[in-house]
Amino acid sequence: MTSITAATPAPPRARKLTGAGRRQWIGLLYVAPAVALVVVFFLIPLGMTAWMSLHNWPLMGERSYIGLGNYVAILHDTRFWNALRFTGWYTLVVTIAIFAVAFPLALFVERPRPLTNLYRTMFFMPAVVGFASASLLWSWLLNVDSGLFSPAAYDLGLIDRKFNLLATFQPAFWSIIAMVVWKVAGFTMIILMAGLQSIPQDLQEAAVIDGAGPFARFRAITLPLMRRTLALALILSVAGSILAFDQFYIILRGGPRNQTLTAVYWIFNQSFVSFKLGYGAALSMVLLVILVALSLVQLWLLRKPEGLD
Amino acid sequence: MRNLIAKLALAAAVLGGGISAAAAETANIWVRADGSNFMPRIVDAYNKAHTNQIKLDIIPNAEIIPKYGAAAAGGTAPDALSLDLIYTPSFAAAGQLEDITDWAKSLPYFSSLSPAHVKTGTYKDHIYGLPFSADASVLIWNKKLFKQAGLDPEKGPTNWAEIAADAEKVNALGGNIKGFYFSGNCGGCNIFTFTPLIWASGGDILSEDGSKATLDSPQLRGAIDLYRSMVKKDLVPAGAQTDTGANFFAAFAAGNIGISPSGAFAIGALNTQYPDVDYGVTFLPGKDSGWSSFAGGDNFVVTKGTPKLAVVKEFLDFAYSLEGQTILAKYGSLPVRGDIAKEALKDLDPRYQIAAEAMAKGRTPYSVVFNDLINSANGPWTQMINEVFFGDDVDGAIANAQETMQSIIDQAPQK
Repeated sequence: MTSITAATPAPPRARKLTGAGRRQWIGLLYVAPAVALVVVFFLIPLGMTAWMSLHNWPLMGERSYIGLGNYVAILHDTRFWNALRFTGWYTLVVTIAIFAVAFPLALFVERPRPLTNLYRTMFFMPAVVGFASASLLWSWLLNVDSGLFSPAAYDLGLIDRKFNLLATFQPAFWSIIAMVVWKVAGFTMIILMAGLQSIPQDLQEAAVIDGAGPFARFRAITLPLMRRTLALALILSVAGSILAFDQFYIILRGGPRNQTLTAVYWIFNQSFVSFKLGYGAALSMVLLVILVALSLVQLWLLRKPEGLD
Repeated sequence: MRNLIAKLALAAAVLGGGISAAAAETANIWVRADGSNFMPRIVDAYNKAHTNQIKLDIIPNAEIIPKYGAAAAGGTAPDALSLDLIYTPSFAAAGQLEDITDWAKSLPYFSSLSPAHVKTGTYKDHIYGLPFSADASVLIWNKKLFKQAGLDPEKGPTNWAEIAADAEKVNALGGNIKGFYFSGNCGGCNIFTFTPLIWASGGDILSEDGSKATLDSPQLRGAIDLYRSMVKKDLVPAGAQTDTGANFFAAFAAGNIGISPSGAFAIGALNTQYPDVDYGVTFLPGKDSGWSSFAGGDNFVVTKGTPKLAVVKEFLDFAYSLEGQTILAKYGSLPVRGDIAKEALKDLDPRYQIAAEAMAKGRTPYSVVFNDLINSANGPWTQMINEVFFGDDVDGAIANAQETMQSIIDQAPQK
């Protein structure tokens, strides 16, 4: 008995292993193109950036190895830290604003009702416009002499003197927030809507039978079951906002008076206005570390609670 | 198969050899988009008259510097480049340019080449760039609006008080007519048109060698007060405060602005694109009298180690001939050879003569960090002009800019 059991399972097990091994190799072959893309367009450039960040690397002329010199310089670069502080403030405000608009929209378009598809399309439309084109459009809308908002308010008699929205910090900042919400809320809405639709209807019905009101159902069923969707939408929004550049570059040029310089804008300036590629690379590495850390914190905060599938 | 490849290789070798023996060499030259009007014309004229050929690439203004840097790093830089003259010191400092001192000094007309170009083309007593195209800042006024406002349409302002008074009278016409325009958030525009007001009054913003920022001067303060007073009296459209240069020319061309500081380029552009606008050209005046101008334009620089040096020199020689200078003048650049400037301009709009005179006496600040100091949209100069023209704390803004500019100068790589 023992000899048989010892003898018979052995050969098939060996065959099975070679089969699994072969399948693994085939699997690797299938993902090879994707891996190659990641290596060529992500890992190698990332490595080069790290390598550049250890050099004094001007756009033209001789480069020289300076070890951690760039990183030491970053510690004293108050304008970078100011830009980072502004980026943080912008990220906080814009993320709250996007969710404040996108969540009600998602609840509104989630259930089928007349014209739902029309609404969904309407709200989603701005998301398909590129950030640069959207910025150019709003740059015109916000123009004080030839744009829409200020001249229209003036012609309607709402204000007695044309008001330049982009000339001072607060109106300029909130104009950008409005533009980004207009542009991004539709996309967040679609993500949240997908999350809402994945919640089984019977759970809601059971809660209704138990006598739960709409607010209680939202808090105790909808929100917990949307945890993963929320995490996705939040990480996309935060990462996108921390990397914000186009709208501030195109509409405001970092103004008024350099008060809206974001971290990426500062990296761009150092690299391509001041031609300090090495320093720009070091700044990029710092920003990368910050972004990865923030994403990990968000994933941890929105992790699955123990025991919940 | 191998046989076929060998044959092909042989054929290619024969063809290639034949071409290089019969025809001459082709040099590649880049120019920024500002030169897209005159550069193709002069290259065509050269190519028709010579066996050596020039291949021209036109690059967008904002991209030519990073693109050239990347090309130089990759070994594909053009043989020569028509470069915004203010960049010549920093390119030379980076060791990117061919030293052409001996050749430049051997030119019989070397001493009559635009002095502002030669000054910026010189780095540590060696010449790396020679003048190619030129643009000088001037003041332009709308004759039609002057007439409507009861002013003499043939007489432009000759000092600051007259600028303010004339602008106010034109502004009084009302409607969407405004007295004065400037791009209030554009460093490049204002170094070109605002600093001449200071120079003409005896002040400066940088020391002669570019090693000291000298913003704390009564002349700068006075010129600021002129602009501030006009902003305060509402003589300037509200959009000026946030104009990063997009309306620098367009605002005046629309025909609703009385006076605007501008450049020689505007003469060609107005004549061809806005023939209905009747305008006059005069110098940018000093506080009480005198005048000055920013001498801008491109320097011609040669990439270090290019094998096509002979072709490039032949092309520049042609550009300096009367024929070359006339082509340049006809299509939007001022002549850069003082000795034949009058002759090159003689059949053109007489208003060019004013600009040419402004060019001859024009000045150009010298700095290896000009871009960081002045042109950058986020640099200290741009920030300061916006604060002092429209903000509340003039003294604080000047002090802040002075400090930032000096620290940028001090941190620049010393080679």
